[in-house]
This record gives sequence, structure tokens and C-alpha cells, in this order.
Amino acid sequence: MEVTVSMDPLFLAWSSCRRRRFQRCADICSTLLAESPYDQEPAATATAAHVSEAVWSLKTRALTEMVYIDEVEVEQEGIADMMLDESSIAQVARPGTSLRRPATSQAGAPTPAVRPMTQSGRPITGFVRPSTLSGRPETMEQAIRTPRTASTARPVSSASGRFVRLGTASMLTHPDGPFINLSRLNLAKYAKRPNLCKTLFEYIFHHENDVKTALDLAALATEHAQFKDWWWKVQLGKCYYRLGLLREAEKQFRSALAQQEFVDTHLYLAKVYQRLDQPITALTVFKQGLDHFPAEVTLLTGIARILEEMNNMSSATEYYREVLKQDNTHVEAIACIGSTHFYTDQPEIALRFYRRLLQMGVFNCQLYNNLGLCCFYAQQYDMSLSCLERALALVSGDEEQADVWYNLGHVAVGIGDLTLAYQCFKLSLAFNNNHGEAYNNLAVLELRKGHIEQAKAFLQTAASLSPHMYEPHYNYATLSDKVGDLQSSFTAAQKSEDAFPEHVDTQQILRSLRQHFSSL
Amino acid sequence: MPEVKSMFREVLPKQGQLSMEDVPTMVLCKPKLLPLKSVTLEKLEKMQKDAQEIIRQQELALKEQPPSEKAE
Repeated sequence: MEVTVSMDPLFLAWSSCRRRRFQRCADICSTLLAESPYDQEPAATATAAHVSEAVWSLKTRALTEMVYIDEVEVEQEGIADMMLDESSIAQVARPGTSLRRPATSQAGAPTPAVRPMTQSGRPITGFVRPSTLSGRPETMEQAIRTPRTASTARPVSSASGRFVRLGTASMLTHPDGPFINLSRLNLAKYAKRPNLCKTLFEYIFHHENDVKTALDLAALATEHAQFKDWWWKVQLGKCYYRLGLLREAEKQFRSALAQQEFVDTHLYLAKVYQRLDQPITALTVFKQGLDHFPAEVTLLTGIARILEEMNNMSSATEYYREVLKQDNTHVEAIACIGSTHFYTDQPEIALRFYRRLLQMGVFNCQLYNNLGLCCFYAQQYDMSLSCLERALALVSGDEEQADVWYNLGHVAVGIGDLTLAYQCFKLSLAFNNNHGEAYNNLAVLELRKGHIEQAKAFLQTAASLSPHMYEPHYNYATLSDKVGDLQSSFTAAQKSEDAFPEHVDTQQILRSLRQHFSSL
Repeated sequence: MPEVKSMFREVLPKQGQLSMEDVPTMVLCKPKLLPLKSVTLEKLEKMQKDAQEIIRQQELALKEQPPSEKAE
């Protein structure tokens, strides 16, 4: 302790910041600032002023780092942004040019018969990123429903989403009020001091989440730099993007790229195009980036993500493999290739990929669940149950728990223990009452027991909970057909056809029903 | 063993039709691999959870305060 007392506190603070002990750094800075407040009174000497300036700047940095999240990754569209989209060009885009209507009939694209779909009609991915949510629903009702891929409900607008909550979170941790009072800040003064204003900007942008003030500061600063600093242009673009002014953001990023080629800028620019629903342009941006930075992992991942969202699984996998050649510990690539193998009927290979993740130290419920499923379908029954048990032990939320029980139900169905399967699906529903898949499977089990009315009720619930799945519609159609209710069988079969046009059995039911009706 | 063979003879029909009816069966939903979470997403969720925890604690503290003020 003697050493720490005698050490220069500013140096200690700086060192803690470098060792990522931000809370400690901020605390030391606070005490230092309490002794000689910056910006309050004229300091006694020039050196003292410089020191308190440095402390102030260091504290902004530490506070920013505490809540810093990679801006490239973050994407959350609110309902309002999605439904009231001004930037869309065509109501019905050509297939293959829009993320909204991914081309479905591509060779190698997985069908819902083997790979479950998310609400947006896209096969589930092996990896959730914040932007996986951006598949757009068709109707308002669907938009309001909680997306199945993340545990949070979709916010009304992106401005009311995570960002605001994060902002208030940072306020809460300081009972004496915010560190910097933004409304009393003389932005013009700071804009003239490049060494201070970059940290200040990041503080306002990330910690306070006050995008408008950040934008003002960035505008002043870029003016002071005579529009020659690409960094400020990128920051301006980020602010515009957050405010939803996508075309302005695009201009800033393009201008920054003209000045200085940088990987991040390419990523931001591609993000703008993705938001504008122009995946082809985004791909072009990534490829241009790859010309300057060959084999850059983030750019390759970006391409793979877009291809995956456009249902082009085979090319996406190619790119993920390319990523793995550069960086063989890339979790996202391994997870995505693994899930693709699982759903293309190669659970043994999928198992190898997931095992690799386990070796790398990923240790969570999702991974064990996937391992359990892969083991089961690769006929390694001894491991399967213990993996799923461990997944249950590591569960962090009710939705996850529901999903693990749902998968356990599948294992039970596989070994023919229908009582266990029934209990598993029931448990899954106990944890998440909106689990459409579990309802559907329960209905099938009920029907095996001969409880037709109960099965019908479950199927109807499943169909209303997740209208994007074809299974409940198809099952309802078959069931109604058997009991002679041809009209509801026909409507259900039509819904099933909407969800999965290539399904042969649905086509058969529809054909026979049409024959019946025409002969009447 | 040879005796058993003589007892049961294999019957393989050489003519006649083989018919099979394709009965529509119910479909189970497929098993679901859970997607892994990105580091950013995990950090976001952790920060949200922490913030909610702090809010809850503050609310609890607020609830406990009024009686003590009355007592004073």
C-alpha cells in the first residue's frame, strides 16, 4: 500500500485505465478533480491547468470505456422505423435484391422442412448478432410480437430502444448527477482543442447517448479541422446514422473514405446500405474494402452475413470458411458453419465444429444444447443427455430453458419415450408460453393418444403464435381432412402453402380437396 | 441349422401388384439449434441487466425512506 500512496495519482489512474480497471481509474480521477476542479476557476499555474485537463480527459475516457460497445455491431430497428420506412424504393422488391424478400428458391437454400425458420421467414442462424433481428415483418401485428431470436421485445422506435436505456443506466450510477453537464458545455471552445474534444465526443456519444449534442460538437470540430480530418467525418456519419439520416451518413462515410481508406469506415458504410435495404450495394462496398485490405476478417464476415440473410447458404459458408482460414478462432464462423452442417444432415461434422468451440473456451447453455443435439443425431447417445443436462444447468433465462426442454423433447421422441417427450414439451410451455413449436409437437403427441379435440386446440394455438411455420397449418389441414371438415382443411392447407410453397404433402392435400370441391 | 432351413421356406411372389398407400402423417417441428450470442450482444444484455438491478435497488431504497422520514 505504501507504494500506491507515494505513486503519482495521475500516473496510477492512467495505468489502471490501461489495465482496463475503469472504475478505479474514474474514482482516482474524481478525487483528483475534487481537489482541483477543471474548468471552474482559473488555475494557479499553467502546469496545474494542464494536469487537471489531463485528469478530466482521462475520466471521460474511462467512463466511456465502461459502457463502450462496438458501434459496427449494434443495430436495432424499432417498429416505427420498420413499418414507416421512407427509404424503400419499391414495395415489392425483385427477389435477390432485398433483405426483406430473400430469394427462396435458390439451389442449396434450406427449406423449412429441415431447418426451422424465424419469424421473418429466414432460416435460423448459428449466431445471433444484434442485426439478425432486422428481418422485416409484413404486418404491424407481426412486428409487435416478440422476436424469437432475442430475449428483448422490439422497441417502438430505435430511439426508444437500447440506446436510451443505456443512457439512463449511465446516469443512474452517479447519484450526484452527471459528470459533465452537457447543456452547460461550451462546445465551440472544446471544438478548437483537438486533443480534448475527441474523448469528449466519445463520452457524449457512448456514455451520455446525446446524439444531437455529439453531432453539434462533431460539426464544429470538423469545421475547425477544415474538413480535412477523416475521423470527424466518420463520427458525423455515426451521428447521422443514429438519427436515421441515412443518406447524410452515407455522404460523410464516402467523404471519409476518399480521404483515408479504413476498414471501419467500409463497415459503417455497408451498415448504412443494409439499413437502406440495399444488400447488393453493401456487398459491393465490402468487396471494394477487400481490394484495399485483402482477406480482412471483418469484411469477409460482413459478406457472409449478408449472403446468409439473403438465404444463399452455400456462398455464405464459403465466405465463413475463408474467414476461418484467416482466423481459426472466429466463433461466429464456426457456429454458422456448424449449424449449416447440422441442418444439411451432417451432424457428425457439426459436432466437430461445436467441439472446437468448446475447446476454445466457449462455455454456455447454447453451446451445450447444440452439442447435445449433434451428439444425439450423430448416434452418440451417451454424451447427448449429459450435454443437455449441462445446458439446463447453465441456463440464464426462461426462454432458453424452454428451448432446451423443447430439444430434450425431441431426444425423447427419438428414443420412443413418448411420456417423457410429452412432459418435456409441457415443461417447455411452462417456461415460455409462446413456444409455438412445442404446441405443435404436443398436438402431434395428443393425436397419437387419440385426443382429437385437444390436438386441434394445440394446433390452433401454435398456428396463431407462429404463423410463419408451416407445420401447424399442415397438421391442422390433415387432421380436419381426416375428420371430414374439408373447408377448414382447405384454409389451413392454403396457409401452409403460403409458409412453404414447395411442400409436396400440402400440395397433395390441396389437389385432392380441389377435386372434392369441383365434383360437388 | 439345415433342418430349420427346410422347415421355413422363403416366399417371394413373382407376379401380382404391390400397392402402397401414402398416408399423410403429422409433422413435428424440427429440433432447434440455439444460436450463440456475440460478445457485443452479451455485453449489452449484461449492461441492461445491471441497470435494471440498480433501478430496482433505488426503488427499494425509495420505498424504505418515507417511513423513516415520518418517524423523524
